[in-house]
Amino acid sequence: MNEIILKLKSIYDKYKIIIILAGSILLLLVPVIFPKSYIMGIICRILLYIILAGGLNVINGYSSQFCIGYAGFFCIGAYTEAILALRLKINFWLLLPIAGIVTAIAGLLICLPTLKLKGKYLALVTLGFSEIVRLIALNWSSLTGGPMGLKGIPVPKIFGIEFKNSLSYYYIFLFLVAIFLFVTRRVINSRIGRAWMSIREDEQAARSLGVDTSMYKALNFMYGAFWAGIAGAAYAPYTRYIDSTFFTLDEGFNILSMAIIGGMGTLIGPVAGSIVVNLLTELLRPISEYRLVAYAILIIAMMWLRPQGLFGASKSILAGKEIVKKARKAEKEAAA
Amino acid sequence: MEYLLNQIVNGISQGAIYALMAIGYSVVVGVTGLITFTHGEVIMIGAFASFYIFQYIGNNLILGIIASFIASWILGMFIYYVCYDRFFEAPSHISLICTIGASMLIRNLAQIYFGPNQKPMLNIIDNKVYRIGVLQVSLMQIVILITVVVLASILAFFINNTRWGIMLRAVSQDKKAAYLMGINVRKTAMIGNCIGCGLAGIAGLLISIYYQTLQATMGGSLGMKAFSSSVLGGLTDTRYSALGGLAIGLIENLGITISTASFRDIFAFGFLITVLIIRPEGFASRKGAKSQ
Repeated sequence: MNEIILKLKSIYDKYKIIIILAGSILLLLVPVIFPKSYIMGIICRILLYIILAGGLNVINGYSSQFCIGYAGFFCIGAYTEAILALRLKINFWLLLPIAGIVTAIAGLLICLPTLKLKGKYLALVTLGFSEIVRLIALNWSSLTGGPMGLKGIPVPKIFGIEFKNSLSYYYIFLFLVAIFLFVTRRVINSRIGRAWMSIREDEQAARSLGVDTSMYKALNFMYGAFWAGIAGAAYAPYTRYIDSTFFTLDEGFNILSMAIIGGMGTLIGPVAGSIVVNLLTELLRPISEYRLVAYAILIIAMMWLRPQGLFGASKSILAGKEIVKKARKAEKEAAA
Repeated sequence: MEYLLNQIVNGISQGAIYALMAIGYSVVVGVTGLITFTHGEVIMIGAFASFYIFQYIGNNLILGIIASFIASWILGMFIYYVCYDRFFEAPSHISLICTIGASMLIRNLAQIYFGPNQKPMLNIIDNKVYRIGVLQVSLMQIVILITVVVLASILAFFINNTRWGIMLRAVSQDKKAAYLMGINVRKTAMIGNCIGCGLAGIAGLLISIYYQTLQATMGGSLGMKAFSSSVLGGLTDTRYSALGGLAIGLIENLGITISTASFRDIFAFGFLITVLIIRPEGFASRKGAKSQ
């Protein structure tokens, strides 16, 4: 697996510009190639989950904090967009960053008290948070419509073009994914990203080298939450109807399984995970009740055989087993 | 006032069930040293095992308790071999994800084979209500309380006074030292895990009697409550975990007196998050305790 990735990388480095140009033209022409709205619907789902799984990957994969209730952030983003668009009639393009910022603030509020807590407590708090958000959305009927949900969310418009079906909405998702991948790549390769990765590998060592771990962990959580908010804000006008049943814990586990199967700690991992899991969902549609069983077996198999996922960071602590094996070997050699 | 007092009684009997779940949870976390998300599913399987026993064999509470204990013991062995056995030395997030996968697997298989709908639990305890002053205590609540207290004392005796209990405590305190003392750590961890799961299965039986319903998806929120109670008690301490379970049961039932029943879970998790903010180590805090 690792050799194949290396080979692909060398080919990519050789013909970088041609591949990027051809790829982007191909991506822009996708709605022309597949004019069926069914196929475009699947592709839009893939793009949406690339943002979600990618944002979760920033939290779980880069700084090794463990967030499970990611659907809660997604929920906050979607409801922020829907409520503000319906009540105050704010423009969609303005609402995208607003929803992102609101969700990031929610992420900060969750993160601040838990900064001194280690992974498992944080996992629990995010899980509880996700349930609380969903229950509030279900029960606060005057604001969120309660079990009826919010209907008739206005579709985004720009230069007189209405994005009202999956064929045209594809471009919004594509635009967001491109921005997400670009910005995240820049952040990961900056001082901030290196600080996150150092926290992932060894928090105490990072702190002893002068990394302000609390600040960077909070920033990491906010960044991950921000993209969940953006994804939620893009999702609400796409379906034009949201209710609380879409944002259950299972949705959070679904996003998590994409990040895990694709691989955490790399940018390409969640992209691959989203494609694999969503295509699998379509392929398994005839046996739809066994779909989640198949995911579960896939997750367990992944943990047994390749803990870092398909395209995950093989040289990090995420890979687990190999690291442990190497450490054991070194111990044995030192003893001998 | 009368309503409030009765809610306190309800809270205590519900809290007792949560306490049993939390005791099981903290035993599991203690011996394996890794947290688990499968506890809710174990609770659900325990409830279903007793449901089928009641349906096909007879309404006998003791028989039901034994059946759910054995069923969840077997499930505990499965979980141990899938999620823990190979991951003791790996980073802890790997087995954590594995338990999430296992819980998804069990829940969805249960949904397929047991059906997704709510089932009514058979009424195996008489609906007698005793009145003490303004208090109303039902026979069911008394039975639940007695069962929990008896099981907790059996567990306490087992842990404190038998050879296996001492081995369990040794493993949960320090695995390496336990190895050096000649304890079979893996076997002990498996048995501890199975004991915790068995207690959770009995708790599942009790909660399905209490609510008179059971469902394949009931495990999710119950497992999280067991987790929360156990966190309140500092994760590995069984006595404080039981206290945490009681506290969560009380808070829930007092909370729904001032609002509607649909906010039940919000009170439980809100309380947990507040406690974690003020006292991250839970109720129990020992000086020099190893932080996990």
